[in-house]
Amino acid sequence: MGMKKFFKQVKHLLGLEDFIESEKKKKSIKELLSKLHARKREIKELLKSKLSKKERHELKDELEIISFHIKNGKKILAELYAKK
Amino acid sequence: MFKKILLPTILIILSYGFWISPNFKEISSGIAIFLFGMLSLEEGFRAFSGGILEQILQKSTDKLYKSIGFGIITTTIMQSSSLVSVLTISFLGAGLIGLTQGIGIILGANIGTTSGAWLMATFGLKVKISAYAMPMLVFGVIFIFQKNKQLKGIGYILSGLGFLFLGISYMKEGFEALKNAVDLSSFAIGGFSGLLIFIGIGILATIIMQSSHATIVIILAALSVGQITYENALALTIGANIGTTITAIIGSLSSNIDGKRLAAAHFIFNMITAVIAVVILHQMIYVVDIFSGLVGIGGDNHTLKLAVFDTLFKVMGVVIFLPFIAKLVKFLESTFKEDIIKSGIDTVRYLNDSVLELPATSLAAIIRETKHLYDNTFEIICQGLNLKEKNIASTISISEVIKDSYSDEPVDIEEYYENRIKGIYSEIVSFATKAQASMTPSDIDILYKIKLANRDLVEALKATKHLQKNLLKYTKSTNVNIKEQYDIIRKNLAELLRNMNIIATTDEDHIKMVLLSKIKVTIEKQDVLTNGTIDTLIRNSLITNTMASSLMNDSYYAYEIGKNLVAMAEVIFMDVRHFTAGVGMSSEDVKEITERKG
Repeated sequence: MGMKKFFKQVKHLLGLEDFIESEKKKKSIKELLSKLHARKREIKELLKSKLSKKERHELKDELEIISFHIKNGKKILAELYAKK
Repeated sequence: MFKKILLPTILIILSYGFWISPNFKEISSGIAIFLFGMLSLEEGFRAFSGGILEQILQKSTDKLYKSIGFGIITTTIMQSSSLVSVLTISFLGAGLIGLTQGIGIILGANIGTTSGAWLMATFGLKVKISAYAMPMLVFGVIFIFQKNKQLKGIGYILSGLGFLFLGISYMKEGFEALKNAVDLSSFAIGGFSGLLIFIGIGILATIIMQSSHATIVIILAALSVGQITYENALALTIGANIGTTITAIIGSLSSNIDGKRLAAAHFIFNMITAVIAVVILHQMIYVVDIFSGLVGIGGDNHTLKLAVFDTLFKVMGVVIFLPFIAKLVKFLESTFKEDIIKSGIDTVRYLNDSVLELPATSLAAIIRETKHLYDNTFEIICQGLNLKEKNIASTISISEVIKDSYSDEPVDIEEYYENRIKGIYSEIVSFATKAQASMTPSDIDILYKIKLANRDLVEALKATKHLQKNLLKYTKSTNVNIKEQYDIIRKNLAELLRNMNIIATTDEDHIKMVLLSKIKVTIEKQDVLTNGTIDTLIRNSLITNTMASSLMNDSYYAYEIGKNLVAMAEVIFMDVRHFTAGVGMSSEDVKEITERKG
């Protein structure tokens, strides 16, 4: 048995394959969510200031999209924790 | 012509040699077995180049000293600088490492090859190594017959080492027997002319055998039995070092510009080092004597002293060159320029046989080539919409961008497609087919998505071509209503292209994700048929029926441009293997948002 196959089988036996994959996924999503949250806060601050109608409209659109991504991200993260 | 007569000439000379001298036959068979061993060793290491080697290469070459260290270690382990060079050219071609790192690896590999001389001088000539060869060959062949790729690899490595040992043994015995019949050392030539002649022989022998490693082993075998003088052996070693670069130059002819630059760097480095060594040869011999005395090598132990000379010679070259690497890179980049557009026809930049060596590099090269195709498509779309690319990439307002037209005359998109898209597109498709033969199912899946991304680019361009005619016509129309609608299409597309440019240039995934979603939502809202614009214009007789049908079609073409560019960007600019892919917006999400906005 090759070393690679050996490690693969050990990881499979201990159920580590899914664990490693899931941990990587969680880490990536958490990082993305933190950046999206930061941008959300930034937009909310900007919306408090004096803006043109067009700028305000664009920021609101972006806020809505970011909220959507955050919702999606949280949902995936919850699913990953539920699997555990 | 020379190539055609070279092989028959070599075969005739060898046949004549075998006929007149059984010892020559033994030495030649030793060389042949040794070279076969090297090929087998390379094959064995290739079996392990499916992941670990690439990961190590990428992680250990971010600094120059690390690249040199990597070159030394891998060449010492694999006993083949040519395999290390092939991998380096492959990674360089795929853009995974830079030219500086590539040069670092080659310099390290040069030092790494000296391990072969040390092994031969300390172990190969003193022990009856053929005794070790036989079990290695037996175990090696058993492993080669196994189905498992790694076991097969180990089999090739073992049998490779077995053949190397067997070859060395044959060469040694051949030279010993030859000594009783002919004393080759009587042909030794002293002085400067002797030095040049033996350098020439070293170059020629290395070119013929395609391996400096093999040349140095022969030199050591001949030197150990006194068939050549120490001084002539030094000259042969210098020659072997030059000869190996010619092998690399021949190999680089089929590679891309980076491969050629690397081969040129290798040639310049070895050539200058050789010239310096010739100039200061006596001083070097003196240093070798001092060093040998310090480490306990006897004054008459010429084989070990040759190994010391080989190491000193190569380390000296690296030390001399280190401060000039940045300048060398600059020189090579200005001397070997890419033939980006020859007579208006653009060709592939990253796809060549050298990157096909490894699945990881071929995938990376296809992604880079798709980005190249994207750059061309982006430029042509800008011109087709009569927009200046530099304005799109700037921060000036979109209304100013659309005012500053590219040209009064329409650009011929069909001609651009023929010259700058079609060739690259078909090369990508053909290369992808070749590359997938050695890929895993998950890589093939990614490759499929990349192929679709390429098709999306072509579709976006075709939509631009359809849109162009009416866009130019109606933006100059006297009917203000239709002019207004086409100005809006142009403005929306300019906005889309600006966002695409940000997506293509930023490294921040969350920015790319938000912008892609923004584009998806925006293009859904912009369709004149669904947003009711066309009904209002017809109902109020503000445009003719012909104008209405044109507007309806062209609005769809504008939508197609956006849709295809977004689909392409999700594959090429967002990492296709990214774990956050599910966070992006699906078509259902887009529909929900657009419906909510009414």
